[in-house]
Amino acid sequence: MEGKSIFTRNRSVPIFIGLLALFTLGVTILSEGYGTGALSVSFTKVLGMTLCLCLAALAMDLVWGYCGILSLGHFAFFGLGGYMIGMWLMTARTEAVVRANLAGNVIPPTEAEVSTATALQIFSVVGAEDWPWMWAVSDSLVLSLLLVVLIPGLLALVFGWLAFRSRVTGVYLSILTQAMTLALSLYLFQNDTGLRGNNGLSGLQNIPGAEGIGQDRISIWFFWASALALGIAYIGAAWVVSGKFGNIVRAIRDDEQRVRFLGYRVEGYKLFVFTLTAVICGIAGALYYPQAGIINPDEIAPIASIYLAVWVAIGGRGRLYGAVIGAAVVSLLSTYFTGGRAPDIDLGIYTIEWVDWWPVLLGLGFVLVTLFAPKGLGGLVDLIVRKDKA
Amino acid sequence: MKKLLLASALSVISAHAASAEIRVGILHSLTGTMAISETTLRDVMLMLIEQQNAAGGLLGEEIVPVVVDPASDWPLFAERARELLTVHEVDVIFGCWTSVSRKSVLPVIEELNGLMFYPVQYEGEESSRNVFYTGAAPNQQAIPAVDYFLEELGVETFALLGTDYVYPRTTNRILEQYLLDSGIPQENIFVNYTPFGHSDWSSIVADVVALGESGQQVGVISTINGDANVGFYSELAAQGVTADDIPVVAFSVGEEELAGLDTGPLEGHLAAWNYFQSADTPENEAFITAWHEFIGDESRPTNDPMEAHYIGFNMWVQAVEAAGTTDVDAVRDAMYGIEVPNLTGGTATMLPNHHLTKPVLIGEIRPDGQFDIITQTDPVPGDAWTDYLPESAVLTSDWPGLDCGMYNTETETCVQIESNY
Amino acid sequence: MIRILRACLAGLILSLSVMPAAFAQEEEGADLQALLQSRADLVADASRRTVGEVLELLVESGLAEVPQFLATWQARELYQRDSDGLFVYVEDPDADPLTLLDISTGEVIGTAGSREVSQLRPNRGVQGVIAGALVQFQLSSEDPAERLQALAAIEDDPDESHLPLLREMLEEESDPAVRSAIETLLPGLIIAFADSDADRVAAIESLAGNVSLDARATLNPLLTTRREVADALPQELNIMQVLDPGSAELSVDEAYQMLVDDGLAPAIVSRADQRAILAENVVDGRVGGVPVAELGDYEARDRAYGALVDAGLAQPAPTEAEIEAALDAHVFFDAYREPSSAVTDAARATLDGIETRVGLFRLLDLSLDGLSLASIYFLAAIGLAITFGVMGVINMAHGEFIMIGAYTGYVVQTIVPDYTLSIMLAIPLAFAVTFGAGVAMERLVIRWLYHRPLETLLATFGISIALQQIVRQIFGTQARPLTPPDWLAGSVAINDVVSISSIRIAIFLLGAIFFVALWLILNRTRLGLEVRAVTQNPAMASSMGINPDRINMLTFGLGSGIAGIAGVAIGLFAQVVPDLGSNYIVQSFMTVVVGGVGNIFGTLFGALMIGSLQKVIEWLNPSNTLAAQTYMILFVILFIQFRPRGIIALKGRAAGD
Repeated sequence: MEGKSIFTRNRSVPIFIGLLALFTLGVTILSEGYGTGALSVSFTKVLGMTLCLCLAALAMDLVWGYCGILSLGHFAFFGLGGYMIGMWLMTARTEAVVRANLAGNVIPPTEAEVSTATALQIFSVVGAEDWPWMWAVSDSLVLSLLLVVLIPGLLALVFGWLAFRSRVTGVYLSILTQAMTLALSLYLFQNDTGLRGNNGLSGLQNIPGAEGIGQDRISIWFFWASALALGIAYIGAAWVVSGKFGNIVRAIRDDEQRVRFLGYRVEGYKLFVFTLTAVICGIAGALYYPQAGIINPDEIAPIASIYLAVWVAIGGRGRLYGAVIGAAVVSLLSTYFTGGRAPDIDLGIYTIEWVDWWPVLLGLGFVLVTLFAPKGLGGLVDLIVRKDKA
Repeated sequence: MKKLLLASALSVISAHAASAEIRVGILHSLTGTMAISETTLRDVMLMLIEQQNAAGGLLGEEIVPVVVDPASDWPLFAERARELLTVHEVDVIFGCWTSVSRKSVLPVIEELNGLMFYPVQYEGEESSRNVFYTGAAPNQQAIPAVDYFLEELGVETFALLGTDYVYPRTTNRILEQYLLDSGIPQENIFVNYTPFGHSDWSSIVADVVALGESGQQVGVISTINGDANVGFYSELAAQGVTADDIPVVAFSVGEEELAGLDTGPLEGHLAAWNYFQSADTPENEAFITAWHEFIGDESRPTNDPMEAHYIGFNMWVQAVEAAGTTDVDAVRDAMYGIEVPNLTGGTATMLPNHHLTKPVLIGEIRPDGQFDIITQTDPVPGDAWTDYLPESAVLTSDWPGLDCGMYNTETETCVQIESNY
Repeated sequence: MIRILRACLAGLILSLSVMPAAFAQEEEGADLQALLQSRADLVADASRRTVGEVLELLVESGLAEVPQFLATWQARELYQRDSDGLFVYVEDPDADPLTLLDISTGEVIGTAGSREVSQLRPNRGVQGVIAGALVQFQLSSEDPAERLQALAAIEDDPDESHLPLLREMLEEESDPAVRSAIETLLPGLIIAFADSDADRVAAIESLAGNVSLDARATLNPLLTTRREVADALPQELNIMQVLDPGSAELSVDEAYQMLVDDGLAPAIVSRADQRAILAENVVDGRVGGVPVAELGDYEARDRAYGALVDAGLAQPAPTEAEIEAALDAHVFFDAYREPSSAVTDAARATLDGIETRVGLFRLLDLSLDGLSLASIYFLAAIGLAITFGVMGVINMAHGEFIMIGAYTGYVVQTIVPDYTLSIMLAIPLAFAVTFGAGVAMERLVIRWLYHRPLETLLATFGISIALQQIVRQIFGTQARPLTPPDWLAGSVAINDVVSISSIRIAIFLLGAIFFVALWLILNRTRLGLEVRAVTQNPAMASSMGINPDRINMLTFGLGSGIAGIAGVAIGLFAQVVPDLGSNYIVQSFMTVVVGGVGNIFGTLFGALMIGSLQKVIEWLNPSNTLAAQTYMILFVILFIQFRPRGIIALKGRAAGD
């Protein structure tokens, strides 16, 4: 009943799911792995990763657009999700290599020897050779998947509880979340904390157990998984923001004090949304980084989280499809302009090279959108919809 | 909207689809933090390609450079490398600077059997079938520099200062073991790591100066990267430490880096490289002249990674000519044993472990930002796996002979064909 | 320093070349060139270890031109002609072609292009050895500067022969500077080389309380020890301490390894050794009766190894009891390398006294470092304290204003070559530029967003990206130098432990001036009154005849302008790069938030707390600076939980809710 009603209550849901399904079908048909091959593997990966970014933006929209918490730390949760799955990917792949090698020995290896040799392979890059404590469950896929959800969720829960309890709100909360992100990225940058420092975890696109299968197929699998996750999350988010819960959350955004006086436990609602979105970001990250192939602390730098907020702002806050549009448009345009594909414009006296001028354009774009189009690109949809009605 | 984007992206991709000429991919960051160093390498590649085309191209065809910008973003390196190989269908890639960017690219070029020339000094412990390392391995830069400290300057207490990332970490691990083997006790080795762009050096320099209280000569081995060097050297000068008191040998400070500095405080400190612009040979003079002409700026220095690209590109050209094709497997087989003159004299030879023989030069920084070359060794063969760490000492790399980049000589097995990333 | 050295050398060469050339020519026996040619390789590729042989030969020859030759060689002004290996001087090293001079007569013997001769560049180690050889010529020189130079060479590389020389010299020396140099040098020489223990102890005691690095460097070598093991404690050695295996200083494993190394006990068989031995003894797929397939387990391996030992195919590994017995049978101890216990006792006592004082001075130094870091944070944050703290505008482009200030300084320096003047010009100019930029930004963007603080954050972030990239376009990604004038380049050293660079003192002073000036502006001027009125209640202020638009504009301009000046100061000690500002932005926000918004005293306390805290954490974990920053931020996050409004919280209506 609930699931059905959401399709009728929020008209964007059936449209979005339909478009996403069509898009997925189209990409599959054009892909190298299962279709005509018109889309290169690298572009398929870009599209798959874009879907993950859309998923993160969706979470950002929930927490900011609907609940009014401008978190500058959600990309940290995204990165954490990537790290959690990355540990398993690295361990499993390396262990397979080590086992294959040690099998050539006269004396069969003990489990301890396999483990030591695997650790040496993974950590010699950063000058270490022992397993750090945080890799304790990295040999188990199930536990690692659990961590993808648990670690970002727990961090958000603890951080959120501390912050909301002390009534830290508005820009203070934004700065505090930014500080948290910076602390996390500085922590990960240290080589001796156990996650390979600046190098991060790499070779993540090689999926253990799928050694014989080419990237052309793996890229499509991940594309499907990302599309599925985005679809489910969209329905889930639409359900959350509709109904009574959604009303309270929106009320908190508009006037937190008044909701509190009405007898609602504002902190509990905020904490729930904050933690839920952190978990969504963690899942998005766990899907993103096996496609990107490498995760390192640079990914978690505070600026990434600000970009996430900017996508949502450009797409249009407070409407779920706005966040998706913002993330997709801005990240794909960035790829296009910084990839050296855009033709330079020769003005005679000066040649505009997009690689250099794109950031300027992007930066000024935020300013213009903030000043003149507070509803973002999603506002365009309003125009069309209203025309239809008229 | 999405459809539209897709269509435009598709049309761009197809516009680049195959044609007959030879394509050379250039994978250097043009934006972001690494652009400072890497843009120069793109320029030098464009110059070398222009020269080669002027001399009649390669196999009678024109060489077309394909420049992409990975924007100092490590995952983007992998993405761009995949694009270069599958969309632009380049025959070879010249690229990367940082180790992490190389490790990001490795799985892609190994999967797609690409060919890459990597021009920067690095920490070793790697030999990929698909990469030729034209920069120095630790035994071609770090170890000779430490020998110089031990033998010539009589240094007994070492401060290993580095930026906290993989190159300093691994290099220092090797050096620490090497120093212990050379009879330097553990308590005389001080190790410190600082973040990128660190500027608050006063307490660290004070700690280094305080090492002198043991009554022994102190020396600093610096793997400090980029911007942080300014603050470090200024702080040394501010605390009145000269190169006579505490000599510093740096592995990441070259002509390009010095161009941004007030070199006064650095005078007399050392750097170890395989190339200095001040090397007085006819080849180098010709190279510098061509560079200044190409870039249109007499003040732009040449440096070690530029020479590495010069050697790498010329080797590749020779190998393609010998193989008669740009096919990766054929070119790789033709690469081994190819000789190209170094710009500092002597010749560079490509070894079976994909590293070069290179002379090691130690230079003292001059006030004009150039180096006085103090010593120059005979060419040293690059060692993919260091001899100074027990787990690496048993490993060797020999692609033509053993078809393996990580071969355990004790158990006589190939540890892994793909690289460790 | 090097320039001075060069000047000295030039003086030395001059004074030596006064000697009539004819005198040198009349000298009988081997001439200098022939001597050098007999060891040509050692001269051309001089190494610290081998150059002594050549020097000995030269000094023994007694040739008059030797001192001049040594000085020239040391100064890297000696050349070798590639065609015949002849050693020559050149008239002018920058000329092309070079004019070659004979090393004995100084006569012109021809010309050569720069590639036909090699400049010999003895390294610093060799230069030091040559300086040592020059000592004997210089000590008896007429020129006090040369005598001082000789003393400096002795200080670098003292040996036993110098002690009587200096003692003799002290009695005759008349020049006060040289005298005092000898007096500082002597105790070290006495401690190291004198025969009488009483003299040495007296010299050691004369260093009491001396915290200089030299004093510690003299005493510490006396206390070096070596770790040994013997059957019984030897009486003839100067024992520092007897060690108990299993104590903190000597673990059981280390102790047993010492026994193994000395051949006093059988080696422990490591897992790797065990596996190698097992692999060597595979017979028909079994080792010692255990099937190979089962050996992926340590217990099975031990069994197989035991079987091999029983069969006499492997060395038995020592048991726990055997190890313990072996350790009990020996005594482990640290012995001083210095044989005299009187000397080591005196050195220990003196050094302990010195170390206590050094510890106190270190604490002082740490506090100064913390203060200096705090003043940098304060400078970076003070502009923000006004725009964010007073106006409540969150300006993510604040860091870029700092960066623009630094680039303004750089541009001024390229135009005005005098460093002092250029800094004096740069400071007001940087203020003007960033003030303008701030006012423009406030007018164009921020004033439309006063009621939407979160969106101000995003818009200013967009501006920050655009500004960074534009600066990158104009100045390139290459870092630009902003050089401090000479009077700011040095440092103020109280002693060898406590020192602080002048630039940091200047930044501290600048921070102090800003603080006072801002306090005065906000509390003692009409503008300040209006600013406070507008912040507290814009509508009310407006009805009192204050133009809030104008006030907001000026306040924002003021905050931005101060950021510009901070940029000049920060640029002087860090490198000027386009992302200079983004390194400070998060720290600055935290400084303001921790201190308490809306109060410049708060910012001051915030900076002090964050700066000193970071130094303390760094001091606790000196090998990792990143960790210090991480823990510092964690602390700030926790701190804000307990004092959400910062150290100094505003009370009443201005506090917001």
